[in-house]
Amino acid sequence: MSEQSAVLLREVKKAFPLHGRQALEVLDLEHLALPAGSCTVLRGRSGSGKTTLLNLIAGVTVPTAGTIRIGGTDVVALSEARRDRFRAENVGYVFQTFNLVAALSALENVSLAMMFASVVPQREQRRRAGDLLTRLGLSERLAHKPAQLSRGEQQRVAIARALANSPPLVLADEPCASLDAKTADEVLAIFLAVCRQDKKTLLLVSHDEAALGGADRVIDMAELNRTEASSGSA
Amino acid sequence: MTILTVALKYLRGRLVATTLTAVSIALGVSLVVASVLLARGIKDGFIAGATDYNLVVGAKGSPTQLVLGVVFRMDLATPNIEDTIYQSLHQDPRVETAVPIGVGDAFRGFRYVATNSAYFAAFPWRRKTFALAAGKFFADDPPSEPAYEAVLGAEAARSTGLQIGDRFYEGEEMAEYPLTVVGILRPTHSADDRAIFFSLPSYWGMNEVARGMAVKPLTAVLIRPKRMSDLPSLNRELNISADTQAVLPSAVLLTIFNMMAVAENVLKMILAIVGIIVLLYVFVAMYSATMERRREIATMRALGARRATVFGIILAESAGLATVGGVVGLLAGHAIAYLAGLVLGQSGLVTNPFLFNPFEPVVLVSVILLGTLAGLLPAVLAYRTEVAENLAPLS
Repeated sequence: MSEQSAVLLREVKKAFPLHGRQALEVLDLEHLALPAGSCTVLRGRSGSGKTTLLNLIAGVTVPTAGTIRIGGTDVVALSEARRDRFRAENVGYVFQTFNLVAALSALENVSLAMMFASVVPQREQRRRAGDLLTRLGLSERLAHKPAQLSRGEQQRVAIARALANSPPLVLADEPCASLDAKTADEVLAIFLAVCRQDKKTLLLVSHDEAALGGADRVIDMAELNRTEASSGSA
Repeated sequence: MTILTVALKYLRGRLVATTLTAVSIALGVSLVVASVLLARGIKDGFIAGATDYNLVVGAKGSPTQLVLGVVFRMDLATPNIEDTIYQSLHQDPRVETAVPIGVGDAFRGFRYVATNSAYFAAFPWRRKTFALAAGKFFADDPPSEPAYEAVLGAEAARSTGLQIGDRFYEGEEMAEYPLTVVGILRPTHSADDRAIFFSLPSYWGMNEVARGMAVKPLTAVLIRPKRMSDLPSLNRELNISADTQAVLPSAVLLTIFNMMAVAENVLKMILAIVGIIVLLYVFVAMYSATMERRREIATMRALGARRATVFGIILAESAGLATVGGVVGLLAGHAIAYLAGLVLGQSGLVTNPFLFNPFEPVVLVSVILLGTLAGLLPAVLAYRTEVAENLAPLS
């Protein structure tokens, strides 16, 4: 099982140092494996460690203890610069608040992600960005800045940006939480469809019923995070 | 996309702030460039105007007043000397060229300068050449038959609008002796552009006192010796005389430049302060931009941007700002120097602000380096941006 896992975490702990006091442990996870091409939904109450877990898998932050392997690579063992490069090429990240660069157009925001990796040759970046945005229904919005796009359109640009370097793993942190229900359903449907078609391994933090329904597996943080379990039972 | 294109997009993204910062830099740079160009132009103007002759002979008094009054026409003329001094110097075997000068009043602010044809002669040692744009040079008329012909300097002709054949005079008392324009000079980029030249006999004929004098008056004589080794003896003899002084224009120039050096030192201090202000402008602009953009920087890091990449984007922005401000400032500096040159030209100083100065690339490179330096701390802030901390969902 673990041999075929796209993502494998073992005995991962994350604690944040506090001034003059004992470090605050926010995550204590025994084991988590995500099969390649699967769609996993992560849910839990606010502060249960969902975003911390995504950041650990993305290599944005490092665990206090434990191992994290993505596609066979131990990301914890990598230097920061190599981890950045690994993330650029292997992990797509969709944020709750889109986090598009305001000064760049939709096309440029997607191209920006390609600048950080060496996956797509520079001369093909604009074409690929255009193709991705067209696939997500934004062919008429390529030159628009984020401020000129609706929230749903902004999130679709963010999804295109996450897929820009064809990463095998896509992480999404409540991608529809900032959208109204109708738009959220539309964006989620297109997001799940694209990930399915491209056989991405998707780890999605969401409480959306549509997401839960479309997932191969739903994990509750209260069961996964031993810190959460102990604080929840207290 | 490259670091440079992202940096340029960011600069365009906040166009108003970018423009204001670039204008601030340009103002500072233009001030530096204009000051240096003008200082250089003024010095060049002095050197160009003063180096053709080795001695200026005039009445006893201030050497600086003599040179400024006779050569640059920036000061009141010194008292007169007798024409016989010119005659004896003209005959002196040690003298190659002696040119008599009579500085008179002015017509609409343009000084009357009486001389003879030697003043315009193209000697091989002369740096300045006189060429006519129109008409002819006035004749060396005999004292008994003054021709009252005038040759106008280029600026004097342009400003007064006088043309060949026009007759003019200043003041009712001179109406009896009008001058006729017979020639207009091409620009020489010296004080001569603002002069109205005519013959000494005309000068004496127009002056009631001079008309009655047996020995005619002059303001000065310009001397070029045959051999430089004769210069000290000529200088000594003319200074021993109770009536005359001989002045080396180069020595007066040194005095003037020494006086200017004090002003230049003050100017250097002001320019240093301007440099610091420019540095602060770029720093404040880039610091606030970086602080506003921490979330975007964190996002780029989350997308895989290395710390060095976001560091490079901020530095490229600073350098871009400084480059735009620097280039615009260089051009504006020339424009300011030109306008200031026009104003200074009215007081007799003529400069050429269009001349490229070798210090300009140094200024431009310095501004770019300073601008980049000002972006260093904001770039370090970007470099150190904590990703997880700055990606926390907005409440």
